[in-house]
Amino acid sequence: MKIRFWGVRGSFAMSGRDFLRYGGNTTSVELVTAAGDRLLIDLGTGATELAKQLMTGEFAKGHGTVPILLTHTHLDHIQGLPFFTPFFIRGNQIRILGAAPSSLSLEATLQDQLSPHYSPLNGLENLAAGVTIETIIPGRTLALPGFEVATAAIPHGSMWTTAYRITADGRTVAFLSDVEYPSVDEPLPAALALARGADLLIHDAMYADADYERSKGWGHSPARAGVVVAERAAACKLALFHHNPDATDDMIDDIVARTAARTEIPVFAAAEGHYLDV
Amino acid sequence: MAFHNKLPGFWAEFWGSRRDGIEFPHLMQITFWGVRGSYPVPGAATVRYGGQTSCVETRTASGDTLIVDAGTGMRALGNKLLRQAPEPQHHHVLLSHVHWDHIQGLPFFSPAYVPGTQISVYALQTAADELHQVIGGITRHEFFPMPLESVPASFDFHQVEPGVELDIDGFHIIPIALNHPFGSVGYRIEGDGSSWAYVADTAPFTEVLHKQHFLSGLEPLTDDDRLALGAMRDALVRRLVGVDTVVYDTHFLPDEYAQFPHYGHSTPDQALDICCEAGARRLVLYHHAPSHGDDQMDRIAAEYLARGARRNIEVLTSFEGMTLPIGPEAA
Repeated sequence: MKIRFWGVRGSFAMSGRDFLRYGGNTTSVELVTAAGDRLLIDLGTGATELAKQLMTGEFAKGHGTVPILLTHTHLDHIQGLPFFTPFFIRGNQIRILGAAPSSLSLEATLQDQLSPHYSPLNGLENLAAGVTIETIIPGRTLALPGFEVATAAIPHGSMWTTAYRITADGRTVAFLSDVEYPSVDEPLPAALALARGADLLIHDAMYADADYERSKGWGHSPARAGVVVAERAAACKLALFHHNPDATDDMIDDIVARTAARTEIPVFAAAEGHYLDV
Repeated sequence: MAFHNKLPGFWAEFWGSRRDGIEFPHLMQITFWGVRGSYPVPGAATVRYGGQTSCVETRTASGDTLIVDAGTGMRALGNKLLRQAPEPQHHHVLLSHVHWDHIQGLPFFSPAYVPGTQISVYALQTAADELHQVIGGITRHEFFPMPLESVPASFDFHQVEPGVELDIDGFHIIPIALNHPFGSVGYRIEGDGSSWAYVADTAPFTEVLHKQHFLSGLEPLTDDDRLALGAMRDALVRRLVGVDTVVYDTHFLPDEYAQFPHYGHSTPDQALDICCEAGARRLVLYHHAPSHGDDQMDRIAAEYLARGARRNIEVLTSFEGMTLPIGPEAA
């Protein structure tokens, strides 16, 4: 299984020379199996770049098929949706899977994003591709072509995020972005279960450890939270993810160095364009 | 004085204008905080012109300030305003319309989190939904962790109507109807004895009359549509007569426009025609397509500076951090 990061930034897309090495686009991740099955996570601004890549192949001809897992519907995780060009090609089959964000359904929420006030697309029904919106129940497992996916609801400030454990080709990736535990030192059992023995744990690292105290409650973790989860769950490798919009490349280097010094587990910061074999 | 206005990116950062802006004494001025259309574009290709979406700040010599559009550029503007004046202020925000690229900076405007801050928002009401519902809707629970009703700042909302003039501090403002899906409004903004205009987002006034339904391509125009387009164009030109500087939606190059004439955006050539007809001194290209990287923007800037010179109008290309003095003295 290969993984490619198309957007690693949290909350807000950052442009400019201070954000070139790690990248300024918001969440978008692509997983591809050896057999060529593909799975995407989230539709932040990184998805607009991913879309260009997809449109060099079968998606341009209307023969593309892909499932997209949404962690939640905060804007930085869906703001690339109206600009994800495979939606505009008739014949493509795209499944969007995610939990209901509240008493409002996932479909109604995405319809609101595309309401005529906010978008000239004027509703999901105007996307030319075949698009299905599938509500998942966190805690259940999903069988997607080429992938086994376990899910869990994890607290994210005032709402819940869906975290994923994705297995393919005998390898496992745990994706826990936009999560905050009641205590950094006591990660929730559901999070540990998803990360158990994972070859790669991708974890929310919105805050430098020193900045976390004043940012508690916004639904994000300090960098060391990923270390606690990785060690307790015996994950093989830790990728820091959902970088703070104010964190320049140099600041992220510093966070990685401090985090790596805490643990024997290899640590790196997810970077846009990063393409790795799990 | 005009030198740095023509150099995007590096120099703007070098002089600190991208962070803190520049101030021109005795003149109204505008500063660009976001110049991109549709969605923010990080990366190596947008370092010099900038990747954030629509947001322009204008101030009078006496310091009165207006914000035009609340795209992602508004985040850096908010941080600058807070550095300049940490105590609560009253901010005024004019919106052209509420498509995401013109509104999604609002929840990231740091002064909104300072208790005592007042934020007045002026916008076109395009449907029965009240402005506070439409604008507050961008921070509903499903989209953002804190709703506008809960942030420390107080918001008030004001409906604007094309042709109905308003005064805010030292500014006199005339809203102008534009041609864009679901409705959009431009503004002529007068202050310190001069004026500039914000004309975004708009399609030209020829092939499409934008209404309130989805367009998958061109639709045939009725006679009434043609009359409405002609009237809208005439009113725009009339409102731009004598304006010093016009900031115009020039998202598309001509070949791109030909592919997507129903998307609601213009080309620099269409903007030039309108501005020359109105006798504006200066046109500023704005709302750059996400796909136009810095090198292509350099070519566009050079090409249209030359085309403008042949028609006796200065054509500049906006970049993040650009500050322009407005008025006869600026010429």
